[in-house]
Amino acid sequence: MIKVLTVAEMTVREILRRRAVLVIILMLPLAFYLSRRGDHLGQSIRFVCLGLGWALSTAALFSGSAARGLEPRLRLSGYGTGHLYAGRLAALWTLGLVLSAPYFLLIRVDADRVEHGAIALIMLLTVAVAAPFGLVLSVLVPRELEGTLLLLTVVGLQMMMDPAGSAARLLPFWFSREIATYAVDHTDGGYLARGLTHGTVCALALTVLAMTLASIRLRRRPHLRPVT
Amino acid sequence: MDHERRGQWLRGVLDLCVLAVLLRRESYGYELAQSLDAAGLGPIRGGTLYPVLLRLQRTGMVTAQWREGESGPARKYYRITEAGGEMLRRTAADWETFTRGVDTLLREVATR
Amino acid sequence: MNTDAWLHALDGELRRRGIDPALARHVVAEAAVHLRDSRQAPLAAFGPPDAYAAAVAESVGSPVRSAPHRRSAPGPVRLEARGIVKRHRRRTVLSGVDLTVRAGEIAAVVGANGCGKSTLLRICAGLESPDRGEVRLRGTLGFCPQDGGTSDFLVPDEHFALVGAGRGMRRGAAVRAGRAYAAALDWDPAGAGQARFLSGGTRQKLNLVMAGLGDPDVLLLDEPYQGFDRGSYVDFWRQLWAWRDAGKTIVVVTHLLDQLDRVDTVLDLTPARTTEARA
Repeated sequence: MIKVLTVAEMTVREILRRRAVLVIILMLPLAFYLSRRGDHLGQSIRFVCLGLGWALSTAALFSGSAARGLEPRLRLSGYGTGHLYAGRLAALWTLGLVLSAPYFLLIRVDADRVEHGAIALIMLLTVAVAAPFGLVLSVLVPRELEGTLLLLTVVGLQMMMDPAGSAARLLPFWFSREIATYAVDHTDGGYLARGLTHGTVCALALTVLAMTLASIRLRRRPHLRPVT
Repeated sequence: MDHERRGQWLRGVLDLCVLAVLLRRESYGYELAQSLDAAGLGPIRGGTLYPVLLRLQRTGMVTAQWREGESGPARKYYRITEAGGEMLRRTAADWETFTRGVDTLLREVATR
Repeated sequence: MNTDAWLHALDGELRRRGIDPALARHVVAEAAVHLRDSRQAPLAAFGPPDAYAAAVAESVGSPVRSAPHRRSAPGPVRLEARGIVKRHRRRTVLSGVDLTVRAGEIAAVVGANGCGKSTLLRICAGLESPDRGEVRLRGTLGFCPQDGGTSDFLVPDEHFALVGAGRGMRRGAAVRAGRAYAAALDWDPAGAGQARFLSGGTRQKLNLVMAGLGDPDVLLLDEPYQGFDRGSYVDFWRQLWAWRDAGKTIVVVTHLLDQLDRVDTVLDLTPARTTEARA
């Protein structure tokens, strides 16, 4: 447990020291929110949730990429892959919740005709999905730049694609629009149920995928035989 | 004077010159360097002088003591020992013999 | 170089040469008095610190601490690589390399650039798979990569804490041990900034300290002295000998051949041929 906590602590410290990145990540959802605040509050709420997802994925991507050089040697220094992965993910999830809290309060104060419980659910699922999503990207792409571009593409698609089309469901933050529709337009519970299912499946799948990729990357190679 | 040759000569006799100056009275490094310069040996660098002093101290030719001087802060004063004085006298005689030979030869060059 | 920096450097050089600390203090103090009296620049009066320290060491006849001539019986085999073959694309980098290192031994891996020194080390550490062959390892492992291996946004103490936690050390103990190792490399990491602001040489010191933290039995060091100044390089080898005397097994990748008389085994990976010779 000490190992997981130590990794989590150092992950948070690292992210907090990237001042510029931190400011952008903190402000971006706000910019999204304000962009449609005047004419369409519902759209504003959808955008802020997507903004949160993008911000946390980016933080996770940067964190995962930065750890590439360090993790193999930590693996040799007594850490299991699980310690490293759990610590990093826990830190990112915590960060995501902290990041979401002020935006939830904002919506709570600013918009009174929406289902606040559902908004909280979107944010929870967004945090749950975004952190492993960024970590998966950090393993799959060689550098932060490529990862950032990919994230932009995903969020861009998410905003433009018709949510009713089946292809849109392949995007990791599709649930966000579904539940938001329920929360803002007070539609039937089907939206909520579909969104909840999609979000949960995405969160689980990405968490498992990120874990698997980490285990492969940090695996013990069979040619190395410890002798006792 | 040829810089390199001066260095070679000094290497052979610097410890004797230091002892000779210390035979007059005890002294510290910088003052020793000034005395040697005044005696006509030219400027002696600290980097050359102090290792010689350390070697003399190690072989018991001099003793050293940190003391406040008349002016300024504490300095390391060197004093020649009995063994040092004995060695200096003996070597001075050898030096006399040696340089007499060199002198004789070089004087022939000068008078030719 | 100003006077204080010069005196500080002199102090370090004297210590490195194994001069008794009390005597070293006297020598430094005397030089300081001389510089003040003569109003000369230190380089003009004494020359470079290392040259002057060498002259002092010679004068006081102290043993220049180089490789200790210790030849106790070799310990048990700690690292044994057998028949390691590795190809990058179609080029054979390692063709059947063998390496056996015992406790209390230093093995040097030498050879031209690109001959697979780092690859061999990474294979021994289990960070890369060979195409054939196996590595038997007895004990815990410390690895110092050629570059990377540190976290840009963490300060040195946090690195120590992080590695220490993996080794089961308490944070205070890990930081203390890290600082002690750093001091042996003439580096004070207390108050040093984030790793990204450290110079190349200092970051390698951090890397090296991390590798030694928690007392691993086998140390694999991949040219860890890059960017070291001369003094730190001397310190580095002294640290290696200290580790060897403590019974550690050390494999060090090097292209500098001036230290080969001070190691126990030399593995030459110069292309296509591998030879293992007992030094």
